[in-house]
Amino acid sequence: MQDQQRVWLWNSVFVAIVFVLGYSIYLASGKIDYTWRWDRVTPYIINTEPQEIIAPGDGTLELGSDGKSLHLVLDSGADPFIVKKYTEMVAAEGDLIFEGDTLATLNDWQIGPIIEGLIVTIEISLYSLVIALVLGLLVGLMRISANPALRNLAILYIEVIRGTPLLVQIFIMYFFFGTVLDLERFTAGVIALSVFTAAYVAEIVRSGIQSIPVGQMEAARSLGMSYPKAMIYIILPQAFKRTLPPLAGQFINLIKDSSLVSVISITDLTKAGREVVSGSFAPFEVWFTVALLYLVLTSALSWAIQRLEKRLSASD
Amino acid sequence: MTNAPEKIIIAEGVDKYYGKLHALKDVTTSVHRGEVVVIVGPSGSGKSTFLRTLNQLEKIQAGTLVVDGIDMYAKDTNINKLRENVGMVFQNFNLFPHKTALENVMLSPRIVAKRDKKEVEEHSRELMYKVGLAERMHNYPSQLSGGQMQRVAIARALAMRPDIMLFDEPTSALDPEMVGEVLDVMKSLAAEGMTMVVVTHEMGFAREVADRVLFMEDGALLVDEAPEKFFDNPPHPRLKQFLSKVL
Ligand SMILES: Nc1ncnc2c1ncn2[C@@H]1O[C@H](COP(=O)(O)OP(=O)(O)O)[C@@H](O)[C@H]1O
Ligand SMILES: [Mg+2]
Repeated sequence: MQDQQRVWLWNSVFVAIVFVLGYSIYLASGKIDYTWRWDRVTPYIINTEPQEIIAPGDGTLELGSDGKSLHLVLDSGADPFIVKKYTEMVAAEGDLIFEGDTLATLNDWQIGPIIEGLIVTIEISLYSLVIALVLGLLVGLMRISANPALRNLAILYIEVIRGTPLLVQIFIMYFFFGTVLDLERFTAGVIALSVFTAAYVAEIVRSGIQSIPVGQMEAARSLGMSYPKAMIYIILPQAFKRTLPPLAGQFINLIKDSSLVSVISITDLTKAGREVVSGSFAPFEVWFTVALLYLVLTSALSWAIQRLEKRLSASD
Repeated sequence: MTNAPEKIIIAEGVDKYYGKLHALKDVTTSVHRGEVVVIVGPSGSGKSTFLRTLNQLEKIQAGTLVVDGIDMYAKDTNINKLRENVGMVFQNFNLFPHKTALENVMLSPRIVAKRDKKEVEEHSRELMYKVGLAERMHNYPSQLSGGQMQRVAIARALAMRPDIMLFDEPTSALDPEMVGEVLDVMKSLAAEGMTMVVVTHEMGFAREVADRVLFMEDGALLVDEAPEKFFDNPPHPRLKQFLSKVL
């Protein structure tokens, strides 16, 4: 009973502190005479305004054979401009249309630049996660190999990558390797992030494998398994389970680190945020929104990994 | 072909070093098919090391080892193939904790010997029955007692249908009340004619089951005798001393 009360007390303290922090942010913004205009941000997230469908050139408007779709027969003789989806016609059948005229309007939700940036961030993170996992596993296995060439290569790789800043690596990947190998920005960004994360994954994999008692490998080998078979069936599944928490941390870092690729002009969530700030004049709202979206991504990942951990703990 | 059983293990002049430590000193012995050989000796005398050279978990620096008719250190020897015929049971069981008892038993016949799934499952169930764990097949190792785990480990080794079974102190990590159940399984295995090399401190087992008992000290094989002579009339002063301590 006593304990119960104490828990309640401290939970209330927690809520109170969070509330005070939030309120002081509000007060601080009042001090600099800032008007919160969240409505300015929403169109950059999801745009609910009706869109205008604009004529790409001069021509005549006709109805399609289905009686619904609009065909703009262009004077230039190019293929007609066809509008299949619209809510309301603005121009009428047979009208002469000039370039830039509105043909129709469409009441449809459109994702804004912030969500587009979010999608790019998710794409970059997913590609990098998969590549980093494979590369990190490979380097981790090389790291514990009995072959000195493989082992030293792995050590060199890990030391070089962990000893230099990610931002510098992104620049080198883009300006040097990107130029030499003719890489696109997106590819260069993904490779830089993967190579960086893989170095940390390799160390996690190494310590995970080494945490499995040697008796496991001996038992597997004594049953006739080759080294690769013993690794695949016995050691790695156990090591994987143990490395899930540190791997989760590493992949959360990956999502956050992905914001750095905005420096090579990839329009990820961070770059989209910067662009929207200059269009909306609502910097505080935009950056809080961006932060919240990153938080959603990282929490979703850590939730998913926790689920996986639970599932794997069946044998404990 | 002679009628005398073949020598299934031949060790000649085996030397093993761990860095500077001379762990096996010129060990020479042999084991016939169907024989049960028990190795005893003080801790650190090289018993485990010798046993582990027999499936090459440890490599030797000098001498020859012929197991199951195959020279272990010949150029064309496939050690994985050889290990399929040599089962090993460890002091700490070394069951695979992420697999159920039955999966532990079935794994190697499936992925190494690539035997038919139905046949392997049937055989594995039989083995689980044989070691008295038919009811525990779907338990994970963490849900089994030490004695049960060791019996699963024996079944797992037997699943490869080995010609030879090696035991490294199979009962030393067990609570006293569980020692008997594991020794019983080993006794029935011996009765079926399995070739066994057993490192143990269970002198009762040695006396009752062994065809020969070996005594090692300081990496050297000092005594190789039938159990009656070994225990009742020890032929080496060091053995006499050792027995006076353990019996
Ligand atoms: N992997 C190893 N590295 C170095 N020394 C070892 C290793 N394994 C065993 N030894 C040493 O070799 C000797 C024999 O060990 P072992 O065969 O385990 O003895 P026993 O099984 O008779 O107790 C001991 O002195 C032990 O410390
Ligand atoms: Mg030992």
